[in-house]
Amino acid sequence: MTLSLNIPRLETPRLILRAPEPADFEPLCAFLTDPTRAWGFGVEKDRPTAWRWFAANIGHWALRGFGYFTIEMKETGASCGISGIWEPEGWPEPEVGWVVFDGFEGKGIAFEAATRARDWAYTDLGLTTLTSNIVPGNTRSVALAERMGARYERTYHNPNMGEDMLYRHPGPEALGLETDNDGSPEAYA
Amino acid sequence: MSLPPSVPVIETEDLILRGYREEDFEAFARFAASDRARFVGGPQARYDSWRSFMAGIGHWSLRGYGMWMLEHRETGEAAGRVGVIYNDGWHEPELGWHIYDGFEGRGYAYQACRAARRHAAEHLGMNSIMSYIAPDNTRSVRLAQRLGCWHERDVELLGTPCQLWRHPAEQVGA
Repeated sequence: MTLSLNIPRLETPRLILRAPEPADFEPLCAFLTDPTRAWGFGVEKDRPTAWRWFAANIGHWALRGFGYFTIEMKETGASCGISGIWEPEGWPEPEVGWVVFDGFEGKGIAFEAATRARDWAYTDLGLTTLTSNIVPGNTRSVALAERMGARYERTYHNPNMGEDMLYRHPGPEALGLETDNDGSPEAYA
Repeated sequence: MSLPPSVPVIETEDLILRGYREEDFEAFARFAASDRARFVGGPQARYDSWRSFMAGIGHWSLRGYGMWMLEHRETGEAAGRVGVIYNDGWHEPELGWHIYDGFEGRGYAYQACRAARRHAAEHLGMNSIMSYIAPDNTRSVRLAQRLGCWHERDVELLGTPCQLWRHPAEQVGA
């Protein structure tokens, strides 16, 4: 078995979700190393560890077939956040995640990107259920999860974040998405 | 990322240097959790090992080179990792080696380092590459000496004092 990278390019009205590129590292690094912004996601102590996260996300794509996309603003080309499907070692199950960088909040970007990533996971990856893991006190992420139709299910111990809340998203049927009965990937309509 | 993590395969007498496979993770995590990983940033919890494993794959995509898994020809087991590391924070690309429990003392690190060093010189334009060694890692110092390296200077790697050893140039081309 040879690992390969197959990262699609997805679109929404205002955004492109695409594979990470080397130039995406700087804005991501600024986010990851800022404890006031990244505390709900996982703070990296410095630039070298943030780079390791950046590299690990690409490895995650190669191993799992999914990971975090870079979110790009169509209008300006700016790299404004990340969203995708995440399931490292020790995670209870695959989750939808989102991060919006400084200066891009309050525009509905996370909602638009995360909804698109979730649809892709159901329609193309054939996943039948999805969660989001949210650290207690992260009220902004709870509000977004609820806006996406997710509901609180339980609290558990996450190997990276400690005490963590698991939110359950509506499944593909509830969202009215077309999927194969066998769960095999099909082209996005 | 347009660049796939495609990893050239190199064969030596006892080893196959190849790309990562998911099933290599258990051997990787055992080493990373052991006291023997103390010279290479460990011991690590399982989640952190997983992250390092993923980052090792991503390194190939971002840099176009990285560490190979060493597959022991005779048994098919993962015997360690050897290759070129250039993480953020490194002074320059490094030839690194990790040999897993049970595969030490058989000259495998030497064998793999020679092959990786030659590959780096011939295909990556990295001749006279360097290796970081923790000052108290006497086994690695011995291997570096056997590889013809010399202690060039003392540096700090990610805030930790360590030695930078310089490899001799390989004969390239002709």
